[in-house]
Amino acid sequence: MAIKGDRRVAVVGLLAAGAILVGLPYVANAYVVTLVFLLLMWVTLASSWNLLSGYTGYVSFGHAGFFGVGAYTAAVLITAHRWEWWLGCLAAGLACVVLALILGWPALRLRGPYFAIALLGLSEVGRIVATVWEPVTRGGLGISLPPTGDLLADYYVMLLLAVLATALVYVIATSKTGLRLLAIREDETAAEVVGVPTTRYKLLAFTLSALFPGLAGGLYAWHTSYIDPATVFSVTISVRTIASAMFGGAGTVFGPVLGAVLLNLMAEVLWVRFPYLHPVLFGGLIMLIVLAMPGGVMAMLQKRGLLPRSRQL
Amino acid sequence: MVGADAGALALAQVVISGLLLGAVYALLAIGLNLIFGVMRVINIAHGELLMLGSYATFWLFTLWGVNPIVSLVLVLPAMFLLGALLQRTLVDRVVGQPLLISLLLTFGLSSFLIGVALNLWTANYRSVPAFSGSIVVGGLALSISRVIAFVVALAITLAVWYFLRTTRLGKAVRATSQNTEVALVCGIDVARIRLLAFGLGTAMAGAAGSLLAVIYTVYPEMGRTFLMKAFAIIVLGGLGSFGGAFVGALALGVAEALAAFAWNTQIAEAVAYAIFIGVLFVRPSGLFGVRE
Amino acid sequence: MGGRDGLSRRDFLRLAAGAGGVVAIAGCGQSAAQTGRGSQPAAGQPAPAAGQSGGAASSAPIKVGASISTTGSNARTGLYQQEAYLLWEKQINARGGLLGRPVQMIIRDDQSDPSTGQKLYEQLITDDKVDLILGPYSSGVTQAVATVAEKYRYPMLAAGASASDLWSRGDRKYLFGVYSIAESYFTGVVEIAQKEGYRTIAVVSEDTLFPKSTANGTVKLAQDKGLQVVVQEQYPQKVADVSSLIQKVKAANAEVLVGGSYLPDALLLTRQAKDLDYNPKLLAFSVGAAMPDFGESLGKDADYVFGPSMWEPELNTPGNQEFVRAYMEMFNREPDYHSAAGYSACQVLEAAVNAVGALDNQRIRDWLSSAEMETVLPGKYKVDANGMMIGHDAITVQWQGPNKVIVWPAKYAQGTYKLPTPAWSQRT
Repeated sequence: MAIKGDRRVAVVGLLAAGAILVGLPYVANAYVVTLVFLLLMWVTLASSWNLLSGYTGYVSFGHAGFFGVGAYTAAVLITAHRWEWWLGCLAAGLACVVLALILGWPALRLRGPYFAIALLGLSEVGRIVATVWEPVTRGGLGISLPPTGDLLADYYVMLLLAVLATALVYVIATSKTGLRLLAIREDETAAEVVGVPTTRYKLLAFTLSALFPGLAGGLYAWHTSYIDPATVFSVTISVRTIASAMFGGAGTVFGPVLGAVLLNLMAEVLWVRFPYLHPVLFGGLIMLIVLAMPGGVMAMLQKRGLLPRSRQL
Repeated sequence: MVGADAGALALAQVVISGLLLGAVYALLAIGLNLIFGVMRVINIAHGELLMLGSYATFWLFTLWGVNPIVSLVLVLPAMFLLGALLQRTLVDRVVGQPLLISLLLTFGLSSFLIGVALNLWTANYRSVPAFSGSIVVGGLALSISRVIAFVVALAITLAVWYFLRTTRLGKAVRATSQNTEVALVCGIDVARIRLLAFGLGTAMAGAAGSLLAVIYTVYPEMGRTFLMKAFAIIVLGGLGSFGGAFVGALALGVAEALAAFAWNTQIAEAVAYAIFIGVLFVRPSGLFGVRE
Repeated sequence: MGGRDGLSRRDFLRLAAGAGGVVAIAGCGQSAAQTGRGSQPAAGQPAPAAGQSGGAASSAPIKVGASISTTGSNARTGLYQQEAYLLWEKQINARGGLLGRPVQMIIRDDQSDPSTGQKLYEQLITDDKVDLILGPYSSGVTQAVATVAEKYRYPMLAAGASASDLWSRGDRKYLFGVYSIAESYFTGVVEIAQKEGYRTIAVVSEDTLFPKSTANGTVKLAQDKGLQVVVQEQYPQKVADVSSLIQKVKAANAEVLVGGSYLPDALLLTRQAKDLDYNPKLLAFSVGAAMPDFGESLGKDADYVFGPSMWEPELNTPGNQEFVRAYMEMFNREPDYHSAAGYSACQVLEAAVNAVGALDNQRIRDWLSSAEMETVLPGKYKVDANGMMIGHDAITVQWQGPNKVIVWPAKYAQGTYKLPTPAWSQRT
């Protein structure tokens, strides 16, 4: 795997990044902190998506569904039932885990494109439920939460989520579990033949990957103080997650992190400068990534020997 | 509130409304299906191709007063060429690659096309009020624009079906869908077939767009909603099945209309999804599906 | 693969440095920790530095920030409001500016999306450091943006919002209404319907904040006036097909159809009513039916349709004719009530700043809370203890021939309404 020297560079790099992130709120203004907060959210989403789709090959277009469920669970608990915000967020994560267990069973029987579209459909159903179930979600009116007032706490919690999600991916990727997941990705039937309990592992990956968008969604709802179905269940969230992970390199540990940061930073800059051109540039960017660097930035860097190879078959 | 007779009449009206619309959906779904069948690519930009067709008809109507039906004469070949171009420059590069690649590429294309439309034509809502009003047939008020759209959609569908069924080229397309390697061995120019399939699929999407422009409002993001419906139809009818897509389209049209009538319009939106998730969970290859 | 994007190690490091640099530069200015957790200064103190463009630099422009839906589903309407803001900016600078300083409007596109709007206002306040803000378009976006205004204690005139939900919680101190609340929009229409003896009414609406509020209010109004609500239903935003809904309304024999709508759905509902031969005696839509675009898109099919309006060009309110003329000159088209509302908000803001004599957000806020003044809108600017508008007079128009005619209330009416609406087949 990694050579000692490169390892040291990696560790130093990580520590430096960590220090910057931890110290950021003390040197940057609220706008920048909010921006990084959102970047960390995308890192969390991309990493958790990677856990399922990058490693098992089951491409999910429904990440937004879990995000939305998380956001609404937390919002409803905080407003209607007066829960503490962090408790609401935890409950949001839990709700998504339970949901993933229930849905995962039938969903993971689907292969390839069917799985992708089915998850997309479920995400949209989530949106419609949130819109129609008015007594609980207030439908299209959206839910207004009490203002957070504490940007720093929100920021650090999101940082924690991003770190946890990525750490989880790292742990799994470097373990036998990760190997089994990759086996499922490369050839599920063969994996079954050699005795990998595919259903169990797929479900594990699916559930773990649903936990984080749930938590992140809850935190997002708390931080922005207002959510409505169209925003938190938006397909764009799913696509941006995928694009982030792919841009960096799905199937590697740090690819999605890198991709999430770079892509969303770029999107932010583009969007501020060119509000009308934004979809054109964003779309063009995605196409470029797919055609020129399908392995993502990570693969590109690895090819040039800048980074050690990761476990890729 | 709703008397028995009036109720039956209203119901009939709703079902027919749904059927009429379903035929237009079929154009979109069949095109998507064709592309998937031949290339195993799920074209997320399909909705945007529909949108381009809508705008083409809109501008032809607004600037030069071209009748929407007549505009098809221009739209169909133009969209076909566009499709062939997109296939040659973009899509061909991802054929045979993992699913994620083609999904993302077409998504990028979709975003790109929406952006182009936004910049060229603004976000304003447009319409093509060429045929409005209704014709009353036996107590049923049928929307004129829908009837016309239905007839034209049906005609195009039949034409494509005939093409695929009887002509040599059409058979080659079907052969490639069934098994690309064998088709190659049989001497079919698979690359050409892919070009043809994408072009044809695009042309059909464009036609659907032209017809929908007469019924609905036209705006850059209109494609997304219809794409969802196309997915539902394909799953209902089975990825790769022509007849399935057609029947599925009509079924979806009716189901949506009935759901909106019996419950409410918000539920109708969910029907498409409920159908395709429900079907997938129970029968992963669709009702008429070609088993993978 | 391609191999054409050769990124050498040096380039990579440059890229990383660049990214870091961007963040660092963006970080110049007060740190979030310093500005305080969510900015909670002691009561009575002015808002932190961002609220006061420090110093006596008299030619430094006063920055006024806002987001407007210039793309997305409300683009058409949002544009009208934006134009009003731009007109005011031009006019005030021609008059010598505000407090002797030029005014610079910074307007960004929120894409008709509440969370985008929220982000933009956060950016405007903390990054662009605007001195003042004006509201966005649509109640939905305003609802999300209001949390930012409250957080940073920037008073905001809700120039594009009317859902009472925005103020009914009672804990908003910095949000001020500009025109009548959504729930009261159809007061005129329901009154007219009752006068004409219509008994049944169907109320449909989009399922977002403003239309829902409008619908809820209308149902109550109808019930109070003794009409029977035979259908009350919502449809999703960006709905493509309402034919089943129209069928339902038709089957229920609703004599009146009221739509809590924006522009696209108002058009869709009218068209499909015609396509399905549904002939209500009275047809009314919010927002869409009061916009010139309604008549332009539908032509003769727009006739007889009623629309609640907050303002019309013919009114004789102070400065109105000049406003209309200046607007037409600058933008080559007629303003609609969203423009007037935007302009009115600017007028009020200007008056507030001049009255207070400084860019002191707290004092501006207090002034806005208790002031009463006339603007181009009918009635006057006056809000209740929660900031909700109570002084505005809403009006109702009806499309007759190629124009809209104000038909209600009597105080502003310029013509009489024409009812019942003839069947589609009976019009040419």
